[in-house]
Amino acid sequence: MFGPPVAVISPAGLPVERGKIHEFACSVYDDDPLYHDLDAAKAAGLPSVVAPVTFTSTQALFSDPMAEMNALGDLELNLMFILHGGQEYEFERPIFAGEVLTPHAGEIKVYTKKGRRGGLMKFVEIDSHFTDEKGEIVLRLKNTLIQTQGVVEK
Amino acid sequence: MSESIFDTIKEGDEYTIEHSNFSRTDFVKYAGASGDFNPIHHDETFAKMSGNETVFGQGMLTAGMLSVVPSKWFGATSVKKFGVRFKTRLWPGDNVVFKGVVNKVYTDKDLVHVDLDLTAVNQKDEVLISGFATCRPWAP
Repeated sequence: MFGPPVAVISPAGLPVERGKIHEFACSVYDDDPLYHDLDAAKAAGLPSVVAPVTFTSTQALFSDPMAEMNALGDLELNLMFILHGGQEYEFERPIFAGEVLTPHAGEIKVYTKKGRRGGLMKFVEIDSHFTDEKGEIVLRLKNTLIQTQGVVEK
Repeated sequence: MSESIFDTIKEGDEYTIEHSNFSRTDFVKYAGASGDFNPIHHDETFAKMSGNETVFGQGMLTAGMLSVVPSKWFGATSVKKFGVRFKTRLWPGDNVVFKGVVNKVYTDKDLVHVDLDLTAVNQKDEVLISGFATCRPWAP
């Protein structure tokens, strides 16, 4: 939809970097020093600045968009009618600058429901998680997509 | 350890953050920061062609700003769970109140946990997103 990537990062994964954290926290108007000030983070006993709660959205900059579109295509979703319905995070621990996280795809649940206006809505719940460099899970995510039109009842 | 917010927090306590007059530049800054380059959020021509009056904000911008409520209230390392449901869109010029209300305080594995109900509401009293969070103290 937005053009092919210019290049793909290698090794694959989500680099959690101090500058990107600063930029991301500014974009959501969060001035907490633990996102911006390395000395403040170290004084709090932390290895580096903290990644904001929704920081892993930046994965869009490092993943292959064509692979993601193909995965959606496999679910017979019509991209014209897709809405982002919800997003959930469950942290095992905070994430810090200097880490490299690896994304993992999880279970996908698909179901249909009648909408308020009588049309059929198709819900797709996509589970995923990120592991750290030790291979331990640090964050679990659930992403809900809703297709509002063009659903064929089987 | 010095006194923490977790020692005094109780059900019904509230915390709000307000942001006035969202701009197209806010959407562009979030696009660059997050990598969500869907042109519907920055390209007026594309947004109108897709049947919208103008560009509108990324749902994840509103969600990201709502997540500031638990992280600022209880600390950047304290957020254990956070979730949102998207209801309606954020438009340029909107004034939004991001609010958290304590729903439950309990102890799990000797740590105080706080469950919050979260909302982002615009100047027309429309809920942009609703959500929840669970916070607990975290030490390295």
